Amino acid sequence: MTLDELVSTAGGWITGSGPDSEVVVSSRARLARNVASFPFSTRMSEEEREDLERLCREAISRAKVASPGFYVDLLAASPLDRKLLVERHLISREHEEATGQRGVAISDDECISIMVNEEDHLRLQALLPGFAIGEAWRKIDAVDTALEAHLDFAFHPKYGYLTACPTNAGTGLRVSSLLHLPALAITRQIEKVFQAVARLRLSVRGLYGEGTEATGHFYQISNESSLGKPEEEIVKNLEAVIPQIVNYERAAREALLRKDRSRLEDRMGRAYGVLRHARVVTSEEALALLSALKMGVHMGLVNGLAPGTVGELLVFSQPAHLQKREGRELSPAERDAIRGAYIRSRLSGTNDN
Amino acid sequence: MICENCGKAQAKVHMTEIVSENEKREHHLCERCAEKLGYTIKQHFSLSEVLASLGAAQLAAREAQVPDVKCPSCGITFAEFQAAGRFGCAEDYDVFSELIEPRLDRFHDSTQHTGKIPRDGDRARRRGARVRALRSQLREAVEKEDYERAAKLRDEISRLGGAGDEVPGRSDGGTKP
Repeated sequence: MTLDELVSTAGGWITGSGPDSEVVVSSRARLARNVASFPFSTRMSEEEREDLERLCREAISRAKVASPGFYVDLLAASPLDRKLLVERHLISREHEEATGQRGVAISDDECISIMVNEEDHLRLQALLPGFAIGEAWRKIDAVDTALEAHLDFAFHPKYGYLTACPTNAGTGLRVSSLLHLPALAITRQIEKVFQAVARLRLSVRGLYGEGTEATGHFYQISNESSLGKPEEEIVKNLEAVIPQIVNYERAAREALLRKDRSRLEDRMGRAYGVLRHARVVTSEEALALLSALKMGVHMGLVNGLAPGTVGELLVFSQPAHLQKREGRELSPAERDAIRGAYIRSRLSGTNDN
Repeated sequence: MICENCGKAQAKVHMTEIVSENEKREHHLCERCAEKLGYTIKQHFSLSEVLASLGAAQLAAREAQVPDVKCPSCGITFAEFQAAGRFGCAEDYDVFSELIEPRLDRFHDSTQHTGKIPRDGDRARRRGARVRALRSQLREAVEKEDYERAAKLRDEISRLGGAGDEVPGRSDGGTKP
């Protein structure tokens, strides 16, 4: 596969499948690793960055950890291509906005992505649809073990895997699930959930990680501490907490149905109606309406629409995806018109409800 | 001593009232009367809070003492680390271990890794430190335009597995895809 083909495929976590997929969009495990023979990113010369990238690319290809797959040179890539990879959750915003020689290896199924020359030399990521934290961890553990045969990682007997920022040291592991919690937000219970989550030393972030807003009621819940507990325990902790939040969300949806079914149906119908007929749709509006529609589809309030279609629209109606499909950069006004047309075309042919 | 206000309970609060420069008056009150008369004693501090603030003060003092310590490998100072929030190389964890441990403990609630260990343990890190030292020598040699020495250093780096070449002595490292 190539980068250009990403806009015509909807694989990986976008499929909307997987366990508990009506609430859990995707699950992720990432490991931070540094090659022992190089300084950390902030202290590398450009020549060293190039050497390190070459070394890592070769190790990735020999270990066959993102194979079949492809490699994107992010320094050479266009800003649009970099944005596309962020929208696809294959690179971080920091990696998109950084300077200097850097890249990412991506498996064709989009399950594995390996960022090279990020804040750490390597950021290994496994991303799966639905509630699958344990499986994501096992996959990325195998990638790490395979790479270890080809690269010397900086490891300390006391502090574990050494990372540029000490908040990632130890296991270098962060596991997270991306949750869709509209009913908890509507019923104003979301703050309570966040407070409980914070007490368990877990953190809540928006759609695109650190410092981003939680738009469309999507929230990322992850472990904070990476040192002192073995990986399996970190995974188990999150595996114990997420189902409870999923159950709260389910209970909130049921309560909404019981209390005010007609208002809820009205909300879904309006969202569906606007998306099917509007001509100009901003990305914020699309996100808000698709978020409502997603809940409606999973609750059986919208007939004739597959959950996977809504999941795809959430990804494909984003700015870089739209522009990449059009094959050129678009002004915001053009983008909103093309977004409207795209969503309309994807939703026409579905049954009226 | 009996409380001068109620005349019943044991006086436990003893105060000296300064009336004027030359006149001072002693007061002896029981706890209840002291509170009733508005002489409350604040007991908001807790032992753990005092210890924590002492700990923070000690930490700050210790950090203030070592602003000049530089990592011999990457050259970063602790002040630079504090400003950027990022270390410069793997050595920094040992160079600044005393300063970093309280931070690790505060953030992770631990300072000891348990979990996955690479097959090679920390031998890789020590091997890597040698390569990093050679690499900084290489940079110097290039700056001085000593190309003969630079070439030798480059060979040595690649012999140790620093860039592009497989690590020697590894049976499973060399298969081409």
